[in-house]
Amino acid sequence: MTTVDIHALVGAYALDAVDDLERVSFERHVADCEACRTEVDELRGTASRLADSTWSVPPPRLRAEVLAAVGRTRQLPPLESARPRPDARAAVSRWRRYTAGAVAAGILAAGAGVAAWAVQEQRVQEQSAVVAEARKREARTEAIMAAPDLVVRTAPMIGGGRVTVASSEQQAASVVSLRADDAPPAGQAFQMWTIRGTGPAANAGVLPAGQASTVQVVDGVPGNDVFAVSVEPAGGSPSPTEVVAQVPLI
Amino acid sequence: MTERGAARRPDHLSAVPGSGSPPADAGDLLRLVARGDEAAFGRLYDLVIPRVYGLIRRVLRDPAQAEEVAQEVLVEVWRTATRFDTARGSATSWIFTIAHRRAVDRVRAEQASADRLMKVGVASVDTPYDEVVDEVAGRLERQQVRHCLDGLTELQRQAVTLAYYQGHSYREVADLLEAPLPTVKTRMRDGLIRLRDCLGVEVTA
Repeated sequence: MTTVDIHALVGAYALDAVDDLERVSFERHVADCEACRTEVDELRGTASRLADSTWSVPPPRLRAEVLAAVGRTRQLPPLESARPRPDARAAVSRWRRYTAGAVAAGILAAGAGVAAWAVQEQRVQEQSAVVAEARKREARTEAIMAAPDLVVRTAPMIGGGRVTVASSEQQAASVVSLRADDAPPAGQAFQMWTIRGTGPAANAGVLPAGQASTVQVVDGVPGNDVFAVSVEPAGGSPSPTEVVAQVPLI
Repeated sequence: MTERGAARRPDHLSAVPGSGSPPADAGDLLRLVARGDEAAFGRLYDLVIPRVYGLIRRVLRDPAQAEEVAQEVLVEVWRTATRFDTARGSATSWIFTIAHRRAVDRVRAEQASADRLMKVGVASVDTPYDEVVDEVAGRLERQQVRHCLDGLTELQRQAVTLAYYQGHSYREVADLLEAPLPTVKTRMRDGLIRLRDCLGVEVTA
């Protein structure tokens, strides 16, 4: 096969649509052809954008399994030739990835929470009232998440973790996902707040003491300026003491 | 649809850095992962898993196998993070390339084409939370990819999507489309070049 012939495979190569032999031949060709490299890298980058349209959230247990496997896996040493290079990509492209990534992380957190709910729901199947309530909440979550005017906002938590607020004006409610890296100290709890203008913070729910994460529907979040999370004594406080996260809503 | 809110905060809470430190992008996280930072790996996982799992699942059709391959891919990302070369593309592109190749390899190793075609019907049974999250989260990016795919000729589009989403080789694609091999190779390349220009993909070496 001539060089010209093998290079005609660049599209098929970028799509992983070549057989093993062709793959090896093509990679050998590219190793000898500096000019080809940019085309290959760009077409592979393009092909990988097709993954953007394939969202699906795996069961939450996968995260724990992967992290456990990673804890047991030694990393390869860097290649001798690998050297740090300045990141020269266009600011526009960085921004696009950045916003998409922020939304991605937020939605994932919310999705994982809904799934955790489904598991919880199974455990209490005998208690039909509880189940009915859980179903109602799940349906409510789904209605909000599917709203055409959904806006997702997210902010980091002091001490590690993330709060994501997915709001719909139409539904007059938000799905809030709170995932802290660590639970509050003993005897303390996370409390959520909504704040409008310079007015006092309104209680939006207290987590059980020591709980590090939750996904829940909070009514009336749209229309407020800020959604905040604080650390309070177990059972909650009338106003925020130690604010650990704020999500600006406007 | 979704934009992060402006960083405006009421004065009485101004001492708190609300969205002060922006979430790192995949490239930043991968650099930390290359230094053995497991917490950064957790954040990178959250950032990419819906697309990694979604892609693998789309190619493999089988949720259980997709989970297995997704785990292999993420561990591979951890293991080889030290060898990621920023000059050759973005971190997400690198991760999705690993994911796609693993998925395709699995398809070729374990499943005859006929099996896969039969599984198409089964694959549409998703859990409800999947559908909800898919519906919302993918909307923006999906629109752009779909818009750009619509800009291709029919043959370009079919050649690209049959290969990428179904994991077919270009020879299989030629059979399926009853088109000559050189034509299919050309259409895959032309199609990707048009997509590249439409999506604005660039690699700055």
